[in-house]
Amino acid sequence: MRAECINSFYRATQDIFERMMDLKTEKAELGVVEEMIAGKEANVVIGMTGDLYGSVLYSFPKEMTLDMVKIMSGMEMDKLDSFVASALGEVANIISGNAVTYLSEHNYSCDIVPPQIIVGENKSISMATDKALKLTLRTSIGNFDINISVKEKK
Amino acid sequence: MWKEKYKIGVERIDQQHEELFRRVEDFIKSVRSEGEWELKQEKVKETLEFMSMYVVTHFADEEKYQQEIHYPGYEEHLQLHIRFKEEVGKYVARFNDTGFDEELVQEFGGKLMAWLIYHVAGADQKIGAYAARLGGGKE
Ligand SMILES: [Fe+2]
Repeated sequence: MRAECINSFYRATQDIFERMMDLKTEKAELGVVEEMIAGKEANVVIGMTGDLYGSVLYSFPKEMTLDMVKIMSGMEMDKLDSFVASALGEVANIISGNAVTYLSEHNYSCDIVPPQIIVGENKSISMATDKALKLTLRTSIGNFDINISVKEKK
Repeated sequence: MWKEKYKIGVERIDQQHEELFRRVEDFIKSVRSEGEWELKQEKVKETLEFMSMYVVTHFADEEKYQQEIHYPGYEEHLQLHIRFKEEVGKYVARFNDTGFDEELVQEFGGKLMAWLIYHVAGADQKIGAYAARLGGGKE
C-alpha cells in the first residue's frame, strides 16, 4: 500500500507542477516521521476517506509559495494572504484529486475532503494519527514536503 | 497570466482563452489593487460580472466546437464546464449574502486562477490534440 500511495501522490505532484507551473520535481528524501508536523510556513491538509483513510499534509516554505503563485498569476506576491493561501490550497487539492484517480487504478477507492490551509510554522497537526511517511521533493524554486498518514480499511 | 504554452492549436479557441485569462486577470488585479475595499468594490463587481459572462460565452462556444469535430470526450468535458460554472455561481451567491466580504473574494480569486490554469493546461489540451489528429487544428 505504501509504495502505491506514495507513488500516486508523487506522480500527481510531478504532473501538476509541470503542467501548471513548468516546474520539474524530483525526490530528495523519503522517511518515516513520528507525527505530522507542519514544518514550513504554508501548509495544506487534505483528508482522505475510503479504502485508504487518514490525511495528507503538504508543507511549503513561504518564498516558494509566493514564487509558485507568481508563476501562475504573473503578478508579484509579497505575503501569504488569502489569495495566495487559496491558490496553494487549490493546487494541493488538484494534486490530491489526481492522486486518488491513480490510486483507483490500483483498486483503492478513495475520496478527498476539501483542503484546510494552515499558515504558520511548526504546528503539529497530528490528528491521532500514527507515523507518517514524509516525502521531500526538490524543485528549482525550493524544497517542500508531502506527509502521508493513511491506514488501510480492513 | 496567459502563457503561449496554454494554446491548444485551434485559433478560435486560443483567442477566447486568451480573452478569458485577460478578464480573470483584470478581476484578480481589481481585487488585489491598493486601497480601501469599499472604494474598490464597484470595480471588483464590474470585473467579476465581465469575467463570469465570458466564462459562459466561451464554454458554450468551446462545447459547440467540440461537437463540430465530434470530440469523443465531449460529455466528460461538458461536466467539467458545468462544475466550473457551479463553483463560480456558489461563490457569487456567497458574495451577495456576505456583502462582498473581502477575504472571501480573495479566496475565490486564488481558486479561480488555479481552476482556470488546470482546465486550460489540462483538459482543453486534449481537445487540441484530437483536433490535430483530425488535421483540423488549423482552421
Ligand atoms: Fe474547456
